[in-house]
Amino acid sequence: MTTEIQNSNPTILSDADLPTRLRPTEAAKSSAYGSGLFASTLSFPGDSVDPASQYLSAESESEGDDLLEEPIDEQEIYDLISTISDPEHPISLGALAVVSLPDISIKPTLSNVPDSPLRTVTVLITPTITHCSLATVIGLGVRVRLEQSLPSRFRMDVRIKEGTHSTADEVNKQLADKERVAAALENGTLMGVIAKMLETCQ
Amino acid sequence: MSALQTFLLVADHDKQEAKQIAERIAHDVENKKTTLIEVVQSLGEYINDEDPILRGKAVSYLTAVIKALPPKFLTRQQIQVLTAFFCDRIEDGGAVAGLETLQKLDRFNKALAEEVAQAIFGRFQELQSRSQSQRFQVYQLLNELMLNHRDALHEMGDESLVGIVDLMTGEKDPRNLMLVFSILKVVMVEWDISNHAEVLFDSVYNYFPITFRPPPNDPYGITAQDLKDRLQDCIASNSQFAPHSVPSLLDKLDSTSPNVKKDALNALIACIHAYNADVVSTYSITIWDALKFEILNAQEEFLSELSLQVLRDIAARLSEGVTEISDQLPLAQYLRPITRECNDQLREPQQKQAKPAQQILSSTSAASAVSFTLVVRTMVAPLLTFYQEADGIAKQRALLETLVVLFDSAIKVFGEWKSSDPEPTMENPLLEFKDQFSEIFGQALMGVIKEEVSFRTSALKGLLRLSTLRNYFQDNEIGLFVQYLDEILLKEESIGRDDLKKEAINALAVISKHTPRLIMDITFPAFVATLPETDDGNGPNYITTLESLAQISIEKDIFETLVRRLLSKLTVLLQKEQPGSAEYPRALLLTILYVMNQRDMSKDPNLDLYYDRIVVTLCRSAAATASGKATNNILADATVLDILGRLSNLIVRSLPRSKQDEVAENTYTLFASAEDFSPVPFAPSTSDSHERTMILSTYLLAGLPADTAKLPHTHPNMSALLTDITNRSITSSESGEPATHLAFLRHSALLVNKFLPKADLNLATDTVFTLLHQITEQQTPHTTGTIKAAFWLTKALVLRLAPKTTDLLTSLLSLLSSPSPQTSTTASRSFSILLSDDDILSPTNGATIRLLSKQRVFTTLVPLISTRIRDVNITNNTTPNQQNPDHIKPAHLTALSGLLSTISPKLVTPELPTLLPLLLQSLDLRTADSDSLAVRAATLETLAVIIRDNGVSVIEECGHVQSLVTRLLNTTTTNNNNSPRLRADAVKCLALLAAGQHSHADAPAVARAGKLSPLLPVKNQVLRALRFVLDDPKRDVRKAAVDARAAWLRGVDDAPEEED
Repeated sequence: MTTEIQNSNPTILSDADLPTRLRPTEAAKSSAYGSGLFASTLSFPGDSVDPASQYLSAESESEGDDLLEEPIDEQEIYDLISTISDPEHPISLGALAVVSLPDISIKPTLSNVPDSPLRTVTVLITPTITHCSLATVIGLGVRVRLEQSLPSRFRMDVRIKEGTHSTADEVNKQLADKERVAAALENGTLMGVIAKMLETCQ
Repeated sequence: MSALQTFLLVADHDKQEAKQIAERIAHDVENKKTTLIEVVQSLGEYINDEDPILRGKAVSYLTAVIKALPPKFLTRQQIQVLTAFFCDRIEDGGAVAGLETLQKLDRFNKALAEEVAQAIFGRFQELQSRSQSQRFQVYQLLNELMLNHRDALHEMGDESLVGIVDLMTGEKDPRNLMLVFSILKVVMVEWDISNHAEVLFDSVYNYFPITFRPPPNDPYGITAQDLKDRLQDCIASNSQFAPHSVPSLLDKLDSTSPNVKKDALNALIACIHAYNADVVSTYSITIWDALKFEILNAQEEFLSELSLQVLRDIAARLSEGVTEISDQLPLAQYLRPITRECNDQLREPQQKQAKPAQQILSSTSAASAVSFTLVVRTMVAPLLTFYQEADGIAKQRALLETLVVLFDSAIKVFGEWKSSDPEPTMENPLLEFKDQFSEIFGQALMGVIKEEVSFRTSALKGLLRLSTLRNYFQDNEIGLFVQYLDEILLKEESIGRDDLKKEAINALAVISKHTPRLIMDITFPAFVATLPETDDGNGPNYITTLESLAQISIEKDIFETLVRRLLSKLTVLLQKEQPGSAEYPRALLLTILYVMNQRDMSKDPNLDLYYDRIVVTLCRSAAATASGKATNNILADATVLDILGRLSNLIVRSLPRSKQDEVAENTYTLFASAEDFSPVPFAPSTSDSHERTMILSTYLLAGLPADTAKLPHTHPNMSALLTDITNRSITSSESGEPATHLAFLRHSALLVNKFLPKADLNLATDTVFTLLHQITEQQTPHTTGTIKAAFWLTKALVLRLAPKTTDLLTSLLSLLSSPSPQTSTTASRSFSILLSDDDILSPTNGATIRLLSKQRVFTTLVPLISTRIRDVNITNNTTPNQQNPDHIKPAHLTALSGLLSTISPKLVTPELPTLLPLLLQSLDLRTADSDSLAVRAATLETLAVIIRDNGVSVIEECGHVQSLVTRLLNTTTTNNNNSPRLRADAVKCLALLAAGQHSHADAPAVARAGKLSPLLPVKNQVLRALRFVLDDPKRDVRKAAVDARAAWLRGVDDAPEEED
């Protein structure tokens, strides 16, 4: 289905410059023997000097941290879709800046019902060139990935970012139309391309 | 019947007989009973027969006779006549073999060789219509002539060249081709081929690319690679092929098959190595034009790598013998379009093709000093201009990386540090840019906002390369870089993942190996100066500093200085009345331990000093502290004693025997005099701080050799000592501190495992049985302590596979069925003690750990546990009775999980059919206490390993797929007291199930045709249930669920749709 490469020399962001979630470092629960280098290299028994004490420590550690809820946020959505590969290059959508963190938003679907758990995820896609005919395929790929990976209370809204594509309206109509999306996903060749794009997802 | 007639009769079916007949005749000829002429004449009626087979046999007869004659028997004239005869009959079987025999003889001359060659070329026009073995014989003869009479063939010139080519044209058999290629290569290399270069080239190039695939069980053992190698040698054999070979090989790059492209590139590399340099030069730019596309739009990484190698090899060939650089050099002309292209690509250094452009620069510049100089002269100035004009830091960063690529090449060409390889005579062209580089990279590292981590990291890498490059940076310039690094480490707040600081430490560690003096002069004082006198409560900044110091103290001088400085800090601390918290002295000791662990202390010249200052002095101070005679209580802290113990242990292990004996005598006195300190064993009354010194004693004991004779209280046997320590471990389990309790337990285990003589093992075994008796008869007030003591002693015994191992294990297991829930639970938790790795009872410390001990314990216990659980299940189903209270089944499952968590999964797999039902029941465990969490966690870990190693098939064989999946799914829900870790682990197990399927999908379609995945029946159930897990409150669980769903969607194929 791919014939000629449309954009053979796109700009690529360095991996180190992509947004990532900073995990709270292990320092938070350092053992009696410090956290960093020493603890890891010397394999200290740390707190569990007695192998049988794992039963006690399992109890104490499970309380505090576990009650803390971590809601789904924009970074999590970004992590889901940024590792999808571009259909033209073996490069991720994140590195090509096709998807970017500021262009992802999560809002309550029913703003007048505050208790409703329904959420709408909006993802704006920036094609690498304005006439890219693969924009629809990329949009579908993002949609499929989100549908496979988000709970059912999430609604997907995947669109081309305004002013970045010559036929954005056409593509958006296609991506927003449930029937057309479903029909597209019945197409074996297209699904093959999308499955290949999703293979690199981590 | 004549000899000939007999020969003709037996020739087909009895080779041995035929050979004997020929030998007999040869013997007669030799003894003049008959003459060669008579032999030839006897052939008369057969050699003109119409049947070619009969003719062949007759000629073979003559050949066989000649073969059997001694080498010097035939006269020149006879040889001449025979050669003429065979040449005349060359098409008949046996003649070729006869000629092969004749040409080996000393009296066979050049003229005859030529006659034979002409006969071959003239008479075998239709060679390809003959059988493979006949063709092989002819090639063999030709090959022999090449070996023995090459001059004759060479003088025939074009006649032999064309003859050989005509002869082999159309050959297809790989065995023959191996021979043909090697004959042709001789012609290509040694003949004057100028009139026939194209014919000759085509004769071999027709076979390119080799697509031969040897049949299975090929008896000849010829691989495609063998043929490829010989063919490639031919193509590369003569520069005159270049006008034909280079364009043809470049054409092959249009092929759609990556393998063909790979063969073409390899052949091209061979040509570049073998052809004359000026020929390579002629085609260099043509090759670059063709390869440019392969590199800039790489489809396969290995093709781009091979293409880069072609470019580099051309540059290397064109650099040969060049001493002076000028723009007119062929090399300069070759590099010009290359650098121009790279220059264009690097104007936009963030775009995709900038990366391959960097690689091109890297390969060509690393080819030679000349090539490097030319690339640097054309590239560095524009790169610096792009850098100045760049409109963003990301762009600048990409340009810095390009420069770093050139620095790497410089290191390859000019060497690193003070390497002893000969240095190129040419001056390093980077020298002229030194000030600019220092400024740009220094500015990039230190002059931008601190958050630009990746930019600064690139700058740091660049400066490290420049410091590494031989004869480039002066010491003061490296010194400046070291100061930057110090500043980053000491003054800057940490940002994100602290990548920059990690790189900085690595850089200092590298520099410290090569120029330790700079680190000693600059970094070391700066770091040590930030260490406080005492822990002033300003947070543990000193930990980071100590970690940094530990990592740069690899070189011997720095190591020694560090240990000395830290020890004196410690000494000062020990004399202070207000020393602050114990964390600081512990960190100091920990740092020393870390650096000593990195070295081989037994070879350290200062070992005696460390022994005195650390083992003797500090242990003595600890003894004084325990007796209340020290200024402060630092050495009364259990964790400080633990580190000091480890440190002493490390040193004691490296000591010479005499000193180890000294340590043995002081194991309990801790080098203190009798009036200052009374040892813990046999002391009538003790305090907590007094007992704590057993931590040190245990570590000292662990470091001693097993056959030490100087251990106190071991004569006539260690019964009394063992009893004392065991009793103390039991009483300290409730009243004492955990660390002291553990020290007692380990101490007793160490004595039994390492030092107890084999003859006295019953001392320990009896002790265990006594303890167990006390527990079951409830004669002890300290049930928990007694159980622990029994388990540790058993551990010591089973690791050395003492007699009665099975009895001991069975007795421990019977504790689980105790009517007392407390006994049962404590015992069940203690099963993880038996096989867990211990820092003291370890191979490093010379503990006796027999190879099969783990297996023995496991195979003894698992069937017993399984039987017991089955009994409990059955009896509970029929009548709830008093003999099997509720706690028994969980206790057995807990014990099992304790074992599973401490043995290697390899041992688990053979027991799987027994084990799997137990594991499934473990997942159902819902007792109120936290035990069930730990049990289920251990179970999931075991399951994960089983699934990863064996795939879903083993579970299918046991018939448990559905029940396993259901239980795993139950564990993923947020109710049922499932902790986040359990939920995530259960989801990961599910993912592994499907992931194993995926690798199946790579199997040939035939193999899995018609076979549905065993997971298919549960696919929908899993996908539906995981959908809910996608909404788990914990991110890690959600992430695992996303991956698991992807694995199931991708890996578990639906049933193929029914086709009408």
